[in-house]
Amino acid sequence: MVTEYGIKFTVNLINNHFGNLVAKVCENLLRRGPLTLQLIVRYTELTPQQVKNSLLILIQHNCVQAFSYEQDGGLEDGPKSNTQYMALFNNILHRMRFSKFLEIMSREFDDKCKELLEGLLQHGRLTLKQMVERAKDLAERAKSRKKEGICENLVQESLVKLFTARYVERCPASEPVLAARNKEDTPAKKRGPKSARTAEESQTLEQRVLAAAAPMEAQRFSAITNNESAVGRETSMDDSPGMRVGAKRKYDASELHIEPAAEEEVILWRANFEEFIRCLRHKACIENVRERLDDGAATVLRAMLEATRSLENKVKTEKSVPLSLNNIFEEVMKSEEGRGMTLDLVRASLVQLGCSPSARGTDESYKIDLKKIIELAQNDEVESIVLKRYGRDAYRMFRLLSKNGRLVETDKIANTTFVEKKDAPKILYKLWKDEYLHMEKLVVAGARQSQFLLWKVNKPCLWKHVLDEMFHAALNLSQRVAYEREKEKEFLNLPVDKQVMSQEERLNRLKSVRIVLESSLLKLDDALMLFHDFEESSLLKLDDAIMLSHDL
Amino acid sequence: MSRLQGPSPLKRKRPDSNTPSGSLTEHERLLYDLIRSKQDMAIWTRDMKRETNLPDNVVTKSLKSLQTKKLIKEVVNIQNKGRKHYIATEFEPSMEITGGTWYAEGNLDTEFINFLKKHCVKIIYELKVATLEGILDTIRRSRAFNVEFTTQQVEEIVNALVLDNEIMEVKSNGIGEFDSIPVGRVCYTCTSKGGDTGEPKIGALASIPCGVCPQISLCTPDGIISPKTCVYFTKWLDF
Ligand code: SF4
Repeated sequence: MVTEYGIKFTVNLINNHFGNLVAKVCENLLRRGPLTLQLIVRYTELTPQQVKNSLLILIQHNCVQAFSYEQDGGLEDGPKSNTQYMALFNNILHRMRFSKFLEIMSREFDDKCKELLEGLLQHGRLTLKQMVERAKDLAERAKSRKKEGICENLVQESLVKLFTARYVERCPASEPVLAARNKEDTPAKKRGPKSARTAEESQTLEQRVLAAAAPMEAQRFSAITNNESAVGRETSMDDSPGMRVGAKRKYDASELHIEPAAEEEVILWRANFEEFIRCLRHKACIENVRERLDDGAATVLRAMLEATRSLENKVKTEKSVPLSLNNIFEEVMKSEEGRGMTLDLVRASLVQLGCSPSARGTDESYKIDLKKIIELAQNDEVESIVLKRYGRDAYRMFRLLSKNGRLVETDKIANTTFVEKKDAPKILYKLWKDEYLHMEKLVVAGARQSQFLLWKVNKPCLWKHVLDEMFHAALNLSQRVAYEREKEKEFLNLPVDKQVMSQEERLNRLKSVRIVLESSLLKLDDALMLFHDFEESSLLKLDDAIMLSHDL
Repeated sequence: MSRLQGPSPLKRKRPDSNTPSGSLTEHERLLYDLIRSKQDMAIWTRDMKRETNLPDNVVTKSLKSLQTKKLIKEVVNIQNKGRKHYIATEFEPSMEITGGTWYAEGNLDTEFINFLKKHCVKIIYELKVATLEGILDTIRRSRAFNVEFTTQQVEEIVNALVLDNEIMEVKSNGIGEFDSIPVGRVCYTCTSKGGDTGEPKIGALASIPCGVCPQISLCTPDGIISPKTCVYFTKWLDF
């Protein structure tokens, strides 16, 4: 869901990271949808060179994806201006989560891997050669006496680790070609291996472009080079005619004149945001369960998620292995906090988590409804806003309507929630005015004509509204951070005799202000993810796959 | 208000007809019979006038006289507090008129309700998990109230507590705390593990000024109300 303040916030992020020219280009793409170079120039009133540079930066940082439509007369005949540029809202948003991604990394891997990821996050996309250069640079600066060869091996090693864990992936095609718009409803036969994945009819343009640009699963996380030493399954690139070849040709001829180079160097790598978001989603689910239920349930959930994650990484056929009670128990025993649990405790936690055993053969197998957990967490977030803004009576009324999901009449609400009959309409009206409730009038023509007001929580609308408010709040926080930084600078520039407080005192204060603001922003971002990123269809699909693997 | 001690207000109806109604005037008799015929539903003065066709002053006078003779009484109708309603003294006004147990003199008896709510939370906390019957039983045995509660009344209170997020509904799985409760039965347990009925956890948006800000729709980066000049922020960051 992209909301008005979502755009404002992401543009602000780009502005902070890359300056106002890039932000201007980005804003136009976000607001108007995909545009050609000419149109961007026209809308932004920047010079073509400025626009090109901005686009290069945005592409380098995975914030923009180029694509083009297949021309009727074959690829060659089409005018070059056909290339469209599309801003990737989600990827821009991820820029504020880099610290979270790095934290995940450092929990699972060594410093070398973290350094590598840092480089990728900092530069957007890198070739192996660039990564090695960077590692050498760092080593030199750290005055380490590692030899070059070791350095290269180390980088390779780390890289393999990272894409085995799916944290790093091969960059998508730079400019995939989509079937022309008017053929949209015919199934995309040409996309070959991807046609299975794109079977859904109602894909957005963004999804289509991303699907067309994505490297094939087999390549995405494997093979640094084509030689034997590389890890992973080799799939010949020639298997996929049409799109890939076309894409490569386009690549060379791209308007932006990216230097074509030898195959090996052209392979670019980047952080796989999707995987990090999945991790964060799992983490959020586990923490939510810990809070709502207890440590035991959280331990069991974590074990289950970890077990299925390793299943995902194996060859696909292994996915059908069911996660039985024994599997879960084994996994629980692997973790420190789970070692004290008995089989009965694990089973009780599973029941707490809302899954009842489905006996298949002699084994009980379990699945967990992650979507439900996310939903509960979303409810908590919205309800706490209602409580703080409108008070306890409103909180009770809102919860009633939210649970109910249907229209309820004013007096009925007042009765069930023990709110004075004359106060109830006022509170409900306030919630309605702020878009927290939906209202309908019902006129009954009887002996005496009477009018009833019916109320309900319209979740899709409200969720969007709350998300927009979150973006708004996030924007406000980050602007206040900028403002406080400014103040800090100003203060340092003052001559010492004009400073009222002692410099140290004052700086400490400003620093703690910034810490509060910045940590609030990170926390708010957790909530943002809850409403924006954790419901992404791609993630849901994956969870369906997990559940399927449990079900079978 | 006095239901915590005092006599029970939920008196039985006593439809005895041994009333001193012999000495009534013709108009009084007419009105009295009308009021009585409405039983526990009571009747609005306007409706009396319409149904008896008596002039205003006669109705007012007769009603006064009937009241002094203690044959009728005025009741507050919860549906419409401004309209005077009368009922024959031998009837207790119906639930529709009084609003039920939770109302006292036409107002929501919040003091009584809150007392009962707290009491229920305490019971549930002590029992760890409790069924509706379990709660009702404990209340009955505790003798804290002079009122007899019905299952439905306790259910209403418990439901409100669920909406308050002080307790939550769980299904018994027959293990551990649930071992005395049949599997699948709905039970209640306290939300906060400490048993103190504290506020629910404050969410990320609700814990920063913008989350509860009445001006948020007017607040823009360079507007009159902006995060740079925001007084809520200044107050929040003042330490
Ligand atoms: S910055 Fe201040 S005025 Fe603006 S929404 Fe936040 S609290 Fe309200």
